[in-house]
Amino acid sequence: MQEKTFSQKAKKIVPISLGLVVIFWFGSPALGLSVAVQQRLCGIVLVVMIYVLLLAIPKSEFKEKTFLQNLKIKIPVIVVLGIIIWFVAGSFGFPIWWQVEFVIFAFVGLIFFVLLDLRPMKPEKSQGQSIIRLLATYALASAIFITVTAQLPQFDPKYELEKLNRPPMKLSGLAGPEVIAAGREIFEANKCFNCHKVFWEGNSDRGPNLGTKQIGLYSEDYIKDQILNPRRNQAPGFEDKKSKKAMPTYYGDDISDDELVALIAYLKTMRDPTHMPVEGKFPDQWTWWDDPKIIAEGKIVFEGKEPATEGLNCAVCHGETGIPMMTGALDFRNENNPDTTKIEGDHTDKLLKDWSDALWYRRVTRGVVGTPMAPWGMIFPHLYLWKAEAYARTFHDPLDKRTEKRPVPPVPNKEEIEAWKSKELFLDPLL
Amino acid sequence: MPSSHHLQHKSSYLKILFAFLFIFSLVHLAPEPFSSSSTFSTLGEPSTAYAQEEEVEDGLEEFAEDDEFADEDEFADEEEEGDGEEEEDDKAYLTDIGIAKDQVIEPFSFLGFSNRKIIWVAAQLHILFASFILGCPMFVVIMEVMGARRTQGVRKAIILSNVFLGILIGVVIGITGEIIIGIHHGVLYGLWACSFAALIVSFLNYFHRLLNVKVSAAVGAVFGTIISISLTPVEHIETSGIVLALLNGAVGGMISNMIMFAKSDFKFERLAHEITKVIGMCYSFTALTGGLFLLIMIVVYSDFISYLLGNFPVLFMIVYPTLFILETIVMYIYVYSWDPLNQQNKKGRHIVCGIILNVLGLTLLAALDGPATFMQTPPKPLAELGNISEWSKIATSTWMPLNYHRLVGNGTFGGYMVGIIGAYMYLWSTKKEEKEYYDWVGYMGNIIGVGIMIPLPAMGYIFVSEIYQYDATIGMYIMSDRESMFMLVQGLLVGTMFSASNIYMWVSMKRIENAQRFFPAMKFGFILIVISVAIWFTPRRFFATMMPEPGMNPDMVLPDNLAFMALMISKNTAAFALVTVTFINYIFYTIATKTGKVHYGKINPLGVYVLIFLGFADIWLMSWMGTIRELSRMNWHVYKVFKDITPEKFAPTLAESGFHVTAIVWTFFIIMTATIWIAIKYPKTTKKPAIPASTAPQMAE
Repeated sequence: MQEKTFSQKAKKIVPISLGLVVIFWFGSPALGLSVAVQQRLCGIVLVVMIYVLLLAIPKSEFKEKTFLQNLKIKIPVIVVLGIIIWFVAGSFGFPIWWQVEFVIFAFVGLIFFVLLDLRPMKPEKSQGQSIIRLLATYALASAIFITVTAQLPQFDPKYELEKLNRPPMKLSGLAGPEVIAAGREIFEANKCFNCHKVFWEGNSDRGPNLGTKQIGLYSEDYIKDQILNPRRNQAPGFEDKKSKKAMPTYYGDDISDDELVALIAYLKTMRDPTHMPVEGKFPDQWTWWDDPKIIAEGKIVFEGKEPATEGLNCAVCHGETGIPMMTGALDFRNENNPDTTKIEGDHTDKLLKDWSDALWYRRVTRGVVGTPMAPWGMIFPHLYLWKAEAYARTFHDPLDKRTEKRPVPPVPNKEEIEAWKSKELFLDPLL
Repeated sequence: MPSSHHLQHKSSYLKILFAFLFIFSLVHLAPEPFSSSSTFSTLGEPSTAYAQEEEVEDGLEEFAEDDEFADEDEFADEEEEGDGEEEEDDKAYLTDIGIAKDQVIEPFSFLGFSNRKIIWVAAQLHILFASFILGCPMFVVIMEVMGARRTQGVRKAIILSNVFLGILIGVVIGITGEIIIGIHHGVLYGLWACSFAALIVSFLNYFHRLLNVKVSAAVGAVFGTIISISLTPVEHIETSGIVLALLNGAVGGMISNMIMFAKSDFKFERLAHEITKVIGMCYSFTALTGGLFLLIMIVVYSDFISYLLGNFPVLFMIVYPTLFILETIVMYIYVYSWDPLNQQNKKGRHIVCGIILNVLGLTLLAALDGPATFMQTPPKPLAELGNISEWSKIATSTWMPLNYHRLVGNGTFGGYMVGIIGAYMYLWSTKKEEKEYYDWVGYMGNIIGVGIMIPLPAMGYIFVSEIYQYDATIGMYIMSDRESMFMLVQGLLVGTMFSASNIYMWVSMKRIENAQRFFPAMKFGFILIVISVAIWFTPRRFFATMMPEPGMNPDMVLPDNLAFMALMISKNTAAFALVTVTFINYIFYTIATKTGKVHYGKINPLGVYVLIFLGFADIWLMSWMGTIRELSRMNWHVYKVFKDITPEKFAPTLAESGFHVTAIVWTFFIIMTATIWIAIKYPKTTKKPAIPASTAPQMAE
């Protein structure tokens, strides 16, 4: 029987493989498989298809090439490939250093393929020659390892030494800027950044971004408890098995009492006067505006039933059902209400539905001069004020009628955070 | 009659004597031999007492003027009777060690060496030689079995060697199932199923060839599973556990059968014998470098080494020397009885000797991992460290993971060293037959090295995950802080090794007839390898610490939407691809050897140098990982227990570490090159009469 030609084999292999890809692609959701599994299954089928196709290529004499012949063919190919990789990586948003890395790996591939196609080395003519080649092998390996370790990014040990030589922390008196700075050091020394970002700083989303979550809104006791007993309250969006185990439980043993005070002082500074707190694990995040649990808690605050904000009752003026109980009180039901002109700023043209988070926050924490709207932020924890605002919005934008969530705002950068301080957006002078 | 009476008398004397001996031993082997009041631990007391005195002395100097001192110190009771200060002066001679107390020992520095660097050299050289002498015997014994003719004696010994191999394989597969897949008590399922399957199948096949491979696998799977389930203490039997046991049983049964009936190949016998000669010489170097290490420790870190040894009195005064001496004896018996036992047709006994050697070696490895992991993860609560038993200090949470990791790591190390031996001897041989043989040795070395390296990442993962459990700060220091770039180098090295292994296979394929049909597919594999290595290498950030320090560019971070490239999920996929491509290439190679003729001795010289490169890379990587492990304790000798207060307590830079490790590996290779020459090559160059026929392997009975 005559052996089948490559095209005959390919005509069988390709349709079967593509058929399998289609089946896996559309069948996976039905079987309840995750997207990652779906993609992997299809990827594996395609890789296997390529392998089988390549094995079906008819046998031909393998021609080895000299070093120069090799380069003549491969360098143009790799240059074109390198350019493509550069632009594709760039279009995906890889920073320049990663683009460089990928292109370097393309050239590593070039070395591989030159070696594969290279003519066999000539056998050693003498012991001397084999010794030279042997030494060259060791020299090459050593040169690669020494160069790689010398050229990768380095740190200066002096900074670690400085930290190690610092005397242990001793605190006295109230938390001031020095204590907050000391707390920041504790935060770094205990590698909190490994899992938590603080606004733009840090680079892991394993745990909540403590800046955008605004951990500083919470009480000292709550924060302390979260550090010492991290399993007690799991942050929303981090309920998966892995995240539940992620936060170590030994910080109570590792961090001294003074250090803990300083650490909490630092954490208390994590606030954002311009945005609602953000919850959830990147990229599945949401703001408190759309959080049913927060809105329910906000309702309790709004209606004056929250023990922690005893004396605060928004419903007294704005009405439990949203119908204002006092003349001049803002009607939250009307999304087209313009803002008051009694406070300075460029907000008067804003309709209620377009109010920025910053405006909401400022209105509630600083109040409106000359009206019964007091600066509630001077009296009550801001945590509850944000919650009450989230609820107040539901009067003109009910939760069950929303088709989409408010977009999660971009993480504030260094300049913005400094601007909050210079513009004194916080009430607390230490912030 | 008188004689019997006399005998009776004699026997009653003997009974009395035995009774005395029995009572004597009962008294001296009192219960709780390891407790704080035991004979063993009192041996360690003088040093502790001395330490206390020193503390008191320091206290005296510091608090001489302090009234509170009398209340706090142990001397308080004694001092109550008389005038405190005078009493103190009078007693000072008791604690005054002489003028030595005023002498300050300066940190050592010589030709760029410092305290830390010189201990670094000694420790790593010691562990490299130790890895060689512990790693190689594991497969030397199996090779000896493969090379031995199947006589009755050998077949008996094979039962034992199969069980030994079953234990090793079962533990590795089992622990992987336990940690990676999360099968409760997976290691026990693996251990029992694989070893008992090996035992049963070997025994059933001992007298006659009762089972073929498939039946052996089935019998091993069924019986191994039944036994492992009955021996593994779980409340609910889970399906995953049964599947793991079945797999292990099948593997154990199949391998036992294959080894029992493998056609003996004298090449294996020769290879095992030659490596054993090198092991014999390296044994001396292990001891030498060990002694050097201890001496340097005493000079540069005397306080710490006293503390460490003092914490393990039974281990360092009884267990370790006993094991060490026994291993030395068995090692020399193994090396020097090779030819004599062959001549006497007693190969089986020699194999048994080899297995005993391995058991001793592995016990030694595990014993010393105790103090090593004690330094890394001392048992918590740390305040209770003084009150816990010595065993608790050995069996820390990372002890078994490090044992697994080193067991597999040493095997890989041994494999690549065999590759190097093959490559050297290939270069040093002139005869055709010799070249053919050493070409084959190189091939075997690569297969063993790569084969054992495949579970190695899993073992490393298990070790680090245990470290994370103990104290995530150490884990983060390794993975995302000061050692993150070190880990990046590790990724690159692993990639380099997989690449080099595959290039070696490619070059080897060229000397097989009809192998060219696999070349296009293998080339595609190389593209996958480059992509995988690139992914493994891709870091989250291109600065060397968790948070940028002065002089670093904080923008060198991957944006959030691309961060997945740097996470474990991507790295695991890359590792999986590397292993799979290597495995596929190995299958191509095997098919090629079965369908075409292999022209051993005609390998492209490039292959030989790739093997040497590979061995160098593996040993460099091993030293590198050792460096990472040691540095991960940060400025602690014993983490959070014994602080390093020397000027070199910081982590050295990547560049400095890279250079230092290279220098250490060069030293090791220079010694190894000389050793291989003296052990294998030199005896061949001296003119000797032809080997008498009697030393050739024994004939079948």
